[in-house]
Amino acid sequence: MKLFEQIVEATVAGDQERCVALAREVLDSGADPLQAIEQGYTKGMTIVGDKFSRMEYYLPELIRCADAMNAAMDVLKPHLGKDQDSGVQGSVVIGTIQGDLHDLGKNIVKTMLQAAGLTVHDLGCDVQVRSFIDKAEELDADVIAASAILTTTMAYMPDLVNLLTDMSLRERFKVMVGGAPVTPEYAKEAGADGYGQNAAEAVDTAKRLVQSKKGGN
Amino acid sequence: MIGFWDVYKRSEKGPFIKEQEFDKQLGIAANRLVQKHGIRFDREQVIPSDDGLADKVYQAALEMFLEQGIYCRDTSRLIQFSREEVQWALKHAPTIVTYGQGPDTRVMQHRKIEDSLPPFCLNTPVGCTVAEERFVAMVQSYAQEPLSDTFSSAFSQTVGGRPIKSGTPQEVEAAIWNVVKLREAARAAGRPLIGIHNLISNAEKTDATLAAVQEEFGAHPNDGLAVAAIAEMKVDYERMKKVVFLDHKGYNRYGLYGPIMGGYAGGPEATAIVHVAHHFLGLLAFGAQWHDGFPLHLMQGCNSTRDLLWLISVTGQALARNTHLLIGVSPFTAAGPCTEMVVQEIAAVVLAATVSGLHLNLVAVARNKLPERSSGMEARIGAETGHLIAGQGITRKKANEIVKRILRCYESNIPDAPRGKRFDECYDLKTVRPNREYLDVYDRCKEQLTKFGLEYQK
Repeated sequence: MKLFEQIVEATVAGDQERCVALAREVLDSGADPLQAIEQGYTKGMTIVGDKFSRMEYYLPELIRCADAMNAAMDVLKPHLGKDQDSGVQGSVVIGTIQGDLHDLGKNIVKTMLQAAGLTVHDLGCDVQVRSFIDKAEELDADVIAASAILTTTMAYMPDLVNLLTDMSLRERFKVMVGGAPVTPEYAKEAGADGYGQNAAEAVDTAKRLVQSKKGGN
Repeated sequence: MIGFWDVYKRSEKGPFIKEQEFDKQLGIAANRLVQKHGIRFDREQVIPSDDGLADKVYQAALEMFLEQGIYCRDTSRLIQFSREEVQWALKHAPTIVTYGQGPDTRVMQHRKIEDSLPPFCLNTPVGCTVAEERFVAMVQSYAQEPLSDTFSSAFSQTVGGRPIKSGTPQEVEAAIWNVVKLREAARAAGRPLIGIHNLISNAEKTDATLAAVQEEFGAHPNDGLAVAAIAEMKVDYERMKKVVFLDHKGYNRYGLYGPIMGGYAGGPEATAIVHVAHHFLGLLAFGAQWHDGFPLHLMQGCNSTRDLLWLISVTGQALARNTHLLIGVSPFTAAGPCTEMVVQEIAAVVLAATVSGLHLNLVAVARNKLPERSSGMEARIGAETGHLIAGQGITRKKANEIVKRILRCYESNIPDAPRGKRFDECYDLKTVRPNREYLDVYDRCKEQLTKFGLEYQK
């Protein structure tokens, strides 16, 4: 079996030891680390994400596979060329919005976004509206992603968009929202640019928003 | 004996662990215990009759609780208990809970598997969002149902025209308004003394709850509050503040647990273990008098799926066989009001729950997500079906055959379930009565369900 195929297989199996060993083999064999990431680990995680969406895998398997991939990344990243960006597609600042302590959904989306090659900065839960913006500014992020599981905390989502506007930053960041009580209608009403019904849809939305931002749309 | 302040002390002194690590360990432990005890979800045994399986789930849950403990988010420490402490708490757990006053006094008791005692029906729109002007009518539609033992709240989109935001002065105002309006709805339903099992469902912060749960706003001594765990197996001081308040004030309290199937625990077997373990959490950390679960499917946001029906049944049986705890479940449907599918889903969950020793917290519909999509009719359907199942003496074996026939009607439609009708489309708002269309939908479904073996009276 070819090296990249073995990487895909090890990633889908969530075999951390093997993922790391294969990363070392990539370096020893002189293969391109970026290609190994894109055609091996990221490809594997795409399969893992699909399995998770179909509930062939559950969250413990998703986390195990992501951990295996991240351990391999730690081996490969120092060897990427200066002009290589480790396949990163864009960056997202994510958190559960002000007053909300429920973070299961946010954690799943975070893991899936990372698996899809996005850089994710997780602010945790109960994140003040202003903190989302400050962190996005500091990191020059592409997307701010806010989640809520309660109707009383979902009400902060329009504030996030309004504060961006008032700070003259609305054009600088894309905003996406999601969570149990959030509907596509509410997301639109709140002024968000995107919505994710579930983790898989959130990944598609984030990628689309990053692309549209980078493309200037 | 373990008291609240012992729990609090352990939250300050217990072993330190990062939250992410706790989440991972929980999944590893639950799945190891699934293997150790040989617990297996069988798609054909949706409502299993295997007492041994129920006991395995119970033993695995107890082992998990003793190994993992409860995670305190404020201190990042584990609150752990000995086997003797858990057993003492179980032995001394309440055997009854009384809600309401006068003619509306209702007593919740322990139910056994296949018990002929009807399930206690706590009827509620489960915080469904509704326009402020329709709030009283919506909750009245639950309180007025003859089989409602207690009722609880919808979620008003606004109060005084202002949206409700957590942690703001408006949240305090809204919480007080909520109690006032719930009692107003009880009076409008002609049942001024009916118990309200959860006085506050529109405040996340405890200060708002404490401000609102007062006699002058309409709270009665036998009303109550929910104290919720954070999924999975976590608590925080914000929620534990309620425990102190309830210890002093004496209102009823129940533990509320919503484990996610597909989430941190993993599949249905592991999530079943974690769900049972949550009951130990509620008993020991919250002093819960009774326990309400709303296990949910990660992707579908409901619990009418085949695996969740199994989980509800097996966890109910595990607790009903091994403890005298008062336990209930909240059915969550994918379909919305005034659809045949919502009737079928309610019937399926109620069937799985009623023969498995559970009480009923009725009902969250349309995945508890869509505004205005909830009505007292869903509670009526659930309560009538629950009473019928208990009265008819349906066994688990027969229930399993019936539930599989019901599942065939809706199972494949869960991902694209119909949204159903809004409250104002299926109720006459002047009389607060369901319209002919909804009654006809229910009648048609009753005919169908009667053919399956649930013999509704004509």
